[in-house]
Amino acid sequence: MNRTVKKRKIISFIALSLSTFSAIFGLFWLVFILFDVIKNGIAGLSLDLFLKDPAPPGMGEGGLRNAFIGQLEIVFFATIIGVPLGILAGTFIAEYARGTKFARIVSILSDIMVSVPSIVIGTFIYSIMVKPIGNINLGAIFGVLFLSVILAVIFGGILNIVVNKILSNVSIKSRSKINFINITVVLITVLFGIGTFIYLSPKLIDRIQGFNGWAGASALAFIMIPVVLRTTEDMLTLVPWTLREAAFALGASYYRVIKDIVYRSAITGIITGVILSISRVAGETAPLLFTSFNNQFFTLDMNEPISSLTVMIFTYAMGPYDDWHKQAWAASLVITLFILLITLIARYIINYKFGKHKAQ
Amino acid sequence: MKRFFKVSLADIFFGSVSFLSALLVLILIFSVLFVLYKESSLAIEKFGVIKFLITNDWDPVKEIFGAAAPLYGTIMTTILSLVVAVPVGVGIAIFLSETAPNFLKTPLGITIEMLAAIPSIIYGMWGLFTLAPIMREYVEPFLQNTLGKIPIIGIIFQGEIMGVSIFTASVVLGIMIIPFIASISRDALNLTPNIMKESAYALGATKWEVIKDVMIPYSKLGIYGGVVLALGRALGETMAVAFVIGHKLDIHLSIFQPATTITVTLANEFTEADTDLYLSALFYLALILFILSFVVLVIAKYFLLRAERGLKR
Repeated sequence: MNRTVKKRKIISFIALSLSTFSAIFGLFWLVFILFDVIKNGIAGLSLDLFLKDPAPPGMGEGGLRNAFIGQLEIVFFATIIGVPLGILAGTFIAEYARGTKFARIVSILSDIMVSVPSIVIGTFIYSIMVKPIGNINLGAIFGVLFLSVILAVIFGGILNIVVNKILSNVSIKSRSKINFINITVVLITVLFGIGTFIYLSPKLIDRIQGFNGWAGASALAFIMIPVVLRTTEDMLTLVPWTLREAAFALGASYYRVIKDIVYRSAITGIITGVILSISRVAGETAPLLFTSFNNQFFTLDMNEPISSLTVMIFTYAMGPYDDWHKQAWAASLVITLFILLITLIARYIINYKFGKHKAQ
Repeated sequence: MKRFFKVSLADIFFGSVSFLSALLVLILIFSVLFVLYKESSLAIEKFGVIKFLITNDWDPVKEIFGAAAPLYGTIMTTILSLVVAVPVGVGIAIFLSETAPNFLKTPLGITIEMLAAIPSIIYGMWGLFTLAPIMREYVEPFLQNTLGKIPIIGIIFQGEIMGVSIFTASVVLGIMIIPFIASISRDALNLTPNIMKESAYALGATKWEVIKDVMIPYSKLGIYGGVVLALGRALGETMAVAFVIGHKLDIHLSIFQPATTITVTLANEFTEADTDLYLSALFYLALILFILSFVVLVIAKYFLLRAERGLKR
């Protein structure tokens, strides 16, 4: 009896030591990597790195200014494209389509899309936005379409306000007249959108050819959308349904409820999701390799190939020069610190938010 | 009445715009499959499905393409990286949920999650500049001199040692997916109800017996989900592998030889493809990778959903 107990205790001790050992083993590598990045990165860090453009190999010290700016540009535009789409779609499946099959399918599919190989997304964007199909660039058409939809929505909003202002002095009693005015406003908006599209397409579509910054931004946006969508959905589901019912009881429309009640209580969570999605795409390399490609020169023009920090690291680290390796390490350090910082901020927000909830 | 007019229009607007974005997301997801299929149709017609998968040639000049070598590399690196990562990841999860002293649990958990956020290109670069020389000088010769001497199994460790190899790539990949496995498994283990653990302790079970017989059976679906999710990540990882695998389109039994994966082939050759068939074959590879990882991720999602449902009951 005593012997079996002892044996079991020894086995338990061995197994737990193994788990501790594996934790130390795993952490060892991870600390090793971080330490290496910091050590080699600080050695290559200098003010020139941020202020100068790359110099030809052997021609003295260059910097990576173009890559820093390009990275910021691409991530910025990716955020502008991806975040509104993600939040709106997340709102739709969590509010209007709550509990339906459609919502479930979108939610599960985007969960899967979060982990789909990013290089596949790169090839997808390449084929619609970089490679010209015949003579028509499909992606550019998409882009112009997207732009005109946004313009039309803004236009429609303004038109709505204007019409309301004008009609505020006239009292309309009949329901069909109201419907008529509504439909007219919507129709004008749609016509405006179509008009913008027709007006803009010849001006913009031909200007985007070959590798371009927009393609890179779209590829990153494509990766962001599912992340933002899922967090928005989760956060909106967390808002108690009774809160909405209270607002409905006061006579608020669903739009009002979403804008003033649901978004207001879920805003911290949504912002956290946005930050996390930015940190997810800021370090992506694979989807940029054949969308925004690389550019040795400084440019702000999104219609041209744009260099990004990550692609620059790839090129430089694979290159034969020591200077390049040094700069690649320094760039790695900057990008790692940036990503760790925003991840920490996101975590801090989560803790702050949900820690407070627990205290109440 | 006026007020009603104002509100209802905004409602229609917002509802339809949000519906359109949800629809757009759905369309985008399906169009990936459609576009990849359309782009690769040229290669699919020329090489077929089975023939493409088992052909070992990759000759842009003669325009003969086969996916066997990249596919082999992808599968080998994925399996080997799981061999590295699963025991360590689950070990870390057990440590974090049971063994570790309380004051260590939160900081260690945050550290692990931070490490999952490090971009893969950093892992790749570290692999190239730091790990590959170590592998070349110490680890691979050591393995070759010990395990390589055993007949039959020894074949795996044969050949000239260069440092860039399937083995190095798998180790880098394994280190990279450890945090994924660890954090998902830890979450799954933590969901075991305390009352079950306490009952087992009350029966006189040791800590390990509680972990092995109560916690792991209870949370196994979550752990499976985490492992399969990590497998999906490993399948589609590009940058961590691209630096250290050497991009050589050959099949070798030895894991110390350079090879290639689907992702690495895409990253290296996509911008160089000059003929339509070449590009189409690369799109074909992307399509295969997409389908492969999609299936794996569906399985992962299935496990995780079932784990969730089991908990709700």
